[in-house]
Order: sequence, then structure tokens, then C-alpha cells
Amino acid sequence: MKEFVLYTGCTTPVRLPAYERAVHVVLEKLGIKLTTMKDANCCGAQYIESVSHTAFSAMCGRILALAESMDLDILAICGACSGSLKHVKHDLDSNEELRNEVNDILEEEGLKYTGTVQVKHLLQVFREDIGYDAIKSAVVNPYKDLRLAAHYGCHVTRPEEIVQVDDAENPTIIDRIIEAVGGTPVDYTGKTRCCGGPLLAMDDEVGNAIGRDKIENIRAENADGIVTACVFCDIQLTQVQFGEGASDKPKIPCMTLPQLLGPAIGIDSESLGIQLNKISPQAILEAH
Amino acid sequence: MTEHVNTELPAYHEPSSSFAKEIELEPGGSGIMHCIQCGMCTASCMVANMTDRYRPRKLIQKILLGKREEVLTSELPWLCMTCRLCEERCQEDVDPTDIFTAVREIAAREGYIPAVFQNAIDKVLEDGWMLNDSYTDFEEDDRSDLGLDADLGWNTEFVKKIKKRYFKGGIEV
Ligand code: SF4
Ligand code: SF4
Repeated sequence: MKEFVLYTGCTTPVRLPAYERAVHVVLEKLGIKLTTMKDANCCGAQYIESVSHTAFSAMCGRILALAESMDLDILAICGACSGSLKHVKHDLDSNEELRNEVNDILEEEGLKYTGTVQVKHLLQVFREDIGYDAIKSAVVNPYKDLRLAAHYGCHVTRPEEIVQVDDAENPTIIDRIIEAVGGTPVDYTGKTRCCGGPLLAMDDEVGNAIGRDKIENIRAENADGIVTACVFCDIQLTQVQFGEGASDKPKIPCMTLPQLLGPAIGIDSESLGIQLNKISPQAILEAH
Repeated sequence: MTEHVNTELPAYHEPSSSFAKEIELEPGGSGIMHCIQCGMCTASCMVANMTDRYRPRKLIQKILLGKREEVLTSELPWLCMTCRLCEERCQEDVDPTDIFTAVREIAAREGYIPAVFQNAIDKVLEDGWMLNDSYTDFEEDDRSDLGLDADLGWNTEFVKKIKKRYFKGGIEV
């Protein structure tokens, strides 16, 4: 049985704990063992990343080194965390000076980054460690007549040569899983565009306009739901459907990928925390 | 009639500073000199699509022209969502995202940093993670109801070392 250490990041445990829960139960059912990383620190994405490449490398470096000390590869479920950890791993592996600098700080704690650890985003675990065939054969309760729009997340898939998750211009992992559970994946304008979330701090109006544009592109294809693979994207594509400036058309439920997968492989919706979803995906759950 | 032959050489545009060279040496900045100003980045950019304020090609042009002060003191480099759609599409292997990150790093060193960024940086360097203040009893209860550990166990010591080593009072030195 393949085992990973789960680095939850800052946001999932607080803002979307149902995602964390769904990751646990779905991966366990599909034969992946998870241990949650403790004593971790923030990866430094966006904020520390913007002002000091060295400090950012040290913060991600510590997370990588913690996983090495546990002798486990990392599973990241947030686009920002997986992108940051992969970027810094790439930098540490190719820049000895930076690696020495980071190891110098880590040494006081008895930690060391050597490069043996791998970082995987959840989508990679589904494709590489579980596989589409195993997912298909685990399905006991397939969906029927369901049109679903995949949203991959910028930092999950780009830059392709560093993150190595999927074809960055035409990603297919979520779409193939939608198919595997009996749904119909729908393409839409701007599928690989950003949700607008990273802009909220600097300009929430523009950030929300970007998110709403995506929602309307998805609506134009008559999708019944949106399937996400990053905590920030899921929250952003949900919250732009509320408040001032939101469309008065029916809301389109967002679900994280394991929440969609769970019911199809026989996990009850409560164990997946679906009752906490802000836009109820009841219609999706009933489409069997 | 005598023919006028223009013997003057065409006027050269010299950058007004070596800013682009400075960026070239920063992590991620190395591709900037390859920019051919085609505008594919602006065409790909959703921020540019939604607001006239922001044009990644123009911002790169300003750097190439050497407008150091103007770029470092502007909000523009901080408006990039780092979505990397432009980077994926740039045919010259320029990474606008990394270039703007390099600009931010230099701007921060010189004290130009938007308040929202400064506040978030201070939080992370104080608490070890982003959402300490948002993690209330309410969220703890949600976690417990879901059967998840309510103790998140974040390390708060390491960021103190980071702060001491790389930051002074929150702004990088
Ligand atoms: S950064 Fe790339 S896409 Fe943008 S103008 Fe320069 S060459 Fe064109
Ligand atoms: S990375 Fe920045 S400049 Fe490039 S498309 Fe995204 S928001 Fe625009």
C-alpha cells in the first residue's frame, strides 16, 4: 500500500475541512494510506514568495525535509502549496548554494533536505498511484445524466515542466475521473484560466469579475456542477456566486474532486462533509 | 535641385537605466532580454481582460526601457495573479510571472510593499501560518464533527528564525 504524508496547508483545515476529510476517506478506500504532517509551517506561497526567494525556499525546504525525516513522499491538496513545494524542490535540486543555505537553518532542528522526497498533487495520486482503471472498478453507484465542468487550478498544472501533473494546455485528469464515475465532462471557454482568487488581496473587484466570468462560461454549457482540485479555487468559485455583483441565476454547486468521487464508490455523503458545502450539490447526489 | 541625403544615423533608444540587467540576475528573471514585445502575454491575461490598468507586455517594456523608479513604486507588479497562463504561451520562454516576482522582491527590499502583502507577511512570520486568527471554536467544532483533529499543530518557532535571518521588522533587508 502506497503511503503519503499529507501537507494540508493553512487554508484547507480552516476554510474547507470537508475537502481534507473527503481526501482521507476516498484515498483510504482506494488503497492509499495517509499520515498528516504535524509541526509544519506555512509554505510561504504568494506573500513570503513575493518578497524573499531565500526565505520562501527555507519555508518550503523545511516542509520537504520534514517529509524526508518521515521517509514519505508528500501529498499536497492545495494548488498554492503543491506549486510552491514543487518549485522550491526544483530550485533546491538545481542550486547547491541555495540548498546549503536552507540546510544551514534546518540543521539546528536536526533536519536536512537531500532531495529524495517527491511532491505530488492529489490529481497525480489519482492518475499515477491509483489509476483510472482502479477508479472505474471501484464505482458501485455511477452517476447518470450529469454534466460537469472541471476546473484544474493554475498552480496545480502550471508550469508544466516543473509541476508535471497534466498537459497544461489541455488537462484531462479531472475530466477522465468525471467519466469514470458516469458523468459527462463538458468543455467551456477559458477552462484553464484562473479563478481570480489570488487577486482578491490586491483588487477584489477584478478578482471577483474573473471568477464570475468563469461561472458564466460554465453556465453557458449547461453544467450541473463544477469539480475542483484546489481549496482556493473551490472557495473562490463558490463565493463569487454570492453577494453584490453575483448573477441572480441559479447557483452552480462546486465540489472538490474527492467529494464527487466518494458517493460513486459507495461512501455516504456525510462522511465526505458534503453537508458543509455552501451551495448544496443535492441534485448531483441524486443523479444516479 | 540638389538631393538631400540624410547622413544622420537613426536615433537609438538606450534604456535609461540597467534595470533589466538587474532583473536578469534575480531568480526567474533570466529570460527578460528575450522578450520580443509580441503581446501574447497581455492577450492571455485575465487581469488585463478585466481592467485597463494592467498590461503585462507594457510592464515588461517599462522594465526593458529602464524605468526603475516608476516600476518599483507602482502597484502593477503586484496585480499579477501568478496564474502563469502567459508564461505557458510565451513563445520566447519569458516568464512574466517570475519577472514580476523579481520586481516585487527588489521593491520590497527598497520599502515599497502594498499594505495587504505586508500584513499577511507579518502574520505568517508571527504565527507560523496564515489563518491563526480565523481559527475559532466554530471551525474547531466543524473539524471535530468531521472526525478531524482539531489541534492543527503548527510550528511557530521556525518562522522566528526566518524573521531574524531574512527580515528586519517585517521588511526584508
Ligand atoms: S513576455 Fe513573451 S508573450 Fe509577453 S510580449 Fe514578451 S515575448 Fe511576447
Ligand atoms: S501570470 Fe500574471 S501577467 Fe501572466 S496571465 Fe496570469 S495574471 Fe496575467
